[in-house]
Amino acid sequence: MGDAMRTVRVKAIVEHGPGLKSFLLDGPIESAAPGQFVMLWLPGIDEKPFSISDLGEAGLEISVKAVGPFTRALMEVSVGDYLGIRGPFGKGFRLADRTLLVGGGIGVAPLRFLYREMGRLRLSAWLVVGVRTAADLIFPDYFRSLPDCLIVSEDGSIGETGIVTDVIDRIIDQAGTTRLAAAGPEPMLVALRDLGERRGLKVELDLERYMKCGIGLCGLCCVDGSGVRLCVEGPVLSSAELRGVTDLGRPHRDATGRRRCGPD
Amino acid sequence: MPSLAVRLGLLRLESPLVLASGILGVSASSLALVASRGAGAVTTKSCGLDPRAGHPGPTVLPVTEGLLNAVGLSNPGADAMCEEIREFKSRCPTTLLFASLFGRTVEEFGEVAAHLAAAEPDLLEVNVSCPNVSSELGLPFEAKSKELAAITALVKKKAGDIPVALKLSINWGPIGEQARICAENGADLITAINTVGPGMLIDTNVMRPVLSNQVGGLSGPCILPLAVRAIWEVRRSVDLPIIGLGGVASSEDALQLIMAGATAVGIGTAVYHQGLDLFERVNQGLLRFLAEKGLEDLSEVCGAAHG
Repeated sequence: MGDAMRTVRVKAIVEHGPGLKSFLLDGPIESAAPGQFVMLWLPGIDEKPFSISDLGEAGLEISVKAVGPFTRALMEVSVGDYLGIRGPFGKGFRLADRTLLVGGGIGVAPLRFLYREMGRLRLSAWLVVGVRTAADLIFPDYFRSLPDCLIVSEDGSIGETGIVTDVIDRIIDQAGTTRLAAAGPEPMLVALRDLGERRGLKVELDLERYMKCGIGLCGLCCVDGSGVRLCVEGPVLSSAELRGVTDLGRPHRDATGRRRCGPD
Repeated sequence: MPSLAVRLGLLRLESPLVLASGILGVSASSLALVASRGAGAVTTKSCGLDPRAGHPGPTVLPVTEGLLNAVGLSNPGADAMCEEIREFKSRCPTTLLFASLFGRTVEEFGEVAAHLAAAEPDLLEVNVSCPNVSSELGLPFEAKSKELAAITALVKKKAGDIPVALKLSINWGPIGEQARICAENGADLITAINTVGPGMLIDTNVMRPVLSNQVGGLSGPCILPLAVRAIWEVRRSVDLPIIGLGGVASSEDALQLIMAGATAVGIGTAVYHQGLDLFERVNQGLLRFLAEKGLEDLSEVCGAAHG
C-alpha cells in the first residue's frame, strides 16, 4: 500500500549550497506524476510534505531548502540513514505540449521532474527559473545546460538580473506557449496566474498549505472557499479551480488550523 | 416516498449521516465541502480553549482495513472555531453543525462549552474519550466516574438550550455504565464510539514506533463489530438517542449501527478509503433499503435488533 509508511536508505546527497540539498532515496516509489508529493518522515523528529524533484532508475529525489526546524534537521542526515516515505499523494501537473514552466526558489524542484517527464514524452517545454541569488538554485549546472531554460536572479549572480515576471511575456512571444505551470512562493504564483490568464494561457499552480495527514482527512490543507483538499484534489490547481480559492495570496492556516494574521 | 430524515432528540437531520469529528473539521470551507456531498450534519474537530498544534508527524497511518492516528487534538482554539461555526451556518443552513469540544480540566470543559455555545452550534459533542493525549493529560475523563459526571453536568449548564452529547469509547471500562452516568447528569445524547486502543506500529528498519506519539487510536472497517456491540450496550443502558460511529463504510454498515440502537450514524475513516462520494452512496443505499422493506423512515428499524 503506497499510503503506508516505508523506510528507505539515503543513497546519495548533493549539496548545492548552504542549507540547500537534494537527497536520493533507494526507492520506494515506482511511479509518480510531476507535482505529486510525498510525506517524508525523519524518525524522532517529524514528518513533512515535499515535492518530488526527480524519479527514475536511480531512485526518488527530494530537494530541500532549510527553512525551519524540520528542514534544518534534514540537513544533518547522512548517506545510509533511514528516512520514511508515504505517498506519492495528490494530483500533479497536466502533461501537455507547449507549456511554459516557471519555478521560483526551491519551487523549481517539481518543475525539474516535470521538465524531464515532458522531455521523455517529447512534449515541448520552456523553463524559467528564478532565484534571489545563485546559491539558492538547485542543480545550477543542469539548468544552465538546458537549451530552453532561462535563469533569472534578483542580484544578477546567475543568469539575467530580474524576477520571473519580467521575462514571461518575452518567452510567451518567442515560444508561442499555450500553457503555464508554476511552483514557488505564492505571491509570485498569483502574479503569474494573472499574467498568464491575461495572455490567454491555461494556468496550473502548485500550491502549498500546512499538511499533516497527506491523505485527505485532517483538513488542514483545505483552501478557504471551495474547501478543496490540496493533498488529494491538489496540490496543483487549474485556473478554474483557483477561482474557488479565497485565500490565494493571502495569509493561510497554521498547524492549529487558525488563519495566520498579517502577510504570509 | 421513504424519507432519510431522522429526529435526533430535538434535532431534525435531512440524512442520518454525520461527518465524524476529526475529519475535515477545521474550517468552515472544508465542512461546507462535506455538507455539499450529502451529510445531514457535520462535526468540527475537537476544540479546546486555546490554539493547539497537536503532535508532530507521523500522526495518521494506514493499516489493513483501517487507520491508526494520534493527531493530538490540534485545533484553532474556541474563539477561532466560533468564527468557523458562524461562517458554516451562514453558508450551509440546511446541514446541522455539531461542535466537538475537550478540556484539560473539568472546569475547562465548561469554559470551552460556554465559548462555543455563543456561536450557536446545533449540538455540543463532549470528547471525554480521546485516547491520544494521555501522556500529557492523563487518562481520558470517561475513565473517571466522578469527573465524567461533573463534566456532563457542567457542560449541560453552560450549553443553555443547545443539546449536549457525550462521546465515549470502549477503551476504559464498561460503556453502558459510562453512558448511564452521562444520562443521570443531564446528557441529551450519547456518541459512540471514539477510536479504539490505543495501538502501536513499529518500523522494523529504524526499530521504533512510527507515530510520533508512539500510540494512537484505531478506526475504520476493522472496528465495526466493536462499534455495533458498544451501541447495543448503550441502548440497553440508557434511554437517550445515540449517534453511532465506528468503521461505517456502507449503507449495510450504517444499518447495523441503527439496528443496534443508533439514530444517526457517523462517517470518518471511510472518507479516506472511499472519498467524499461515500455520503451520497450510503444515502442511496439507505433509501433502497427503506423502499425494499416498505418502510417510511429509519426510525422503524432503530434498535430493531434488540427484538
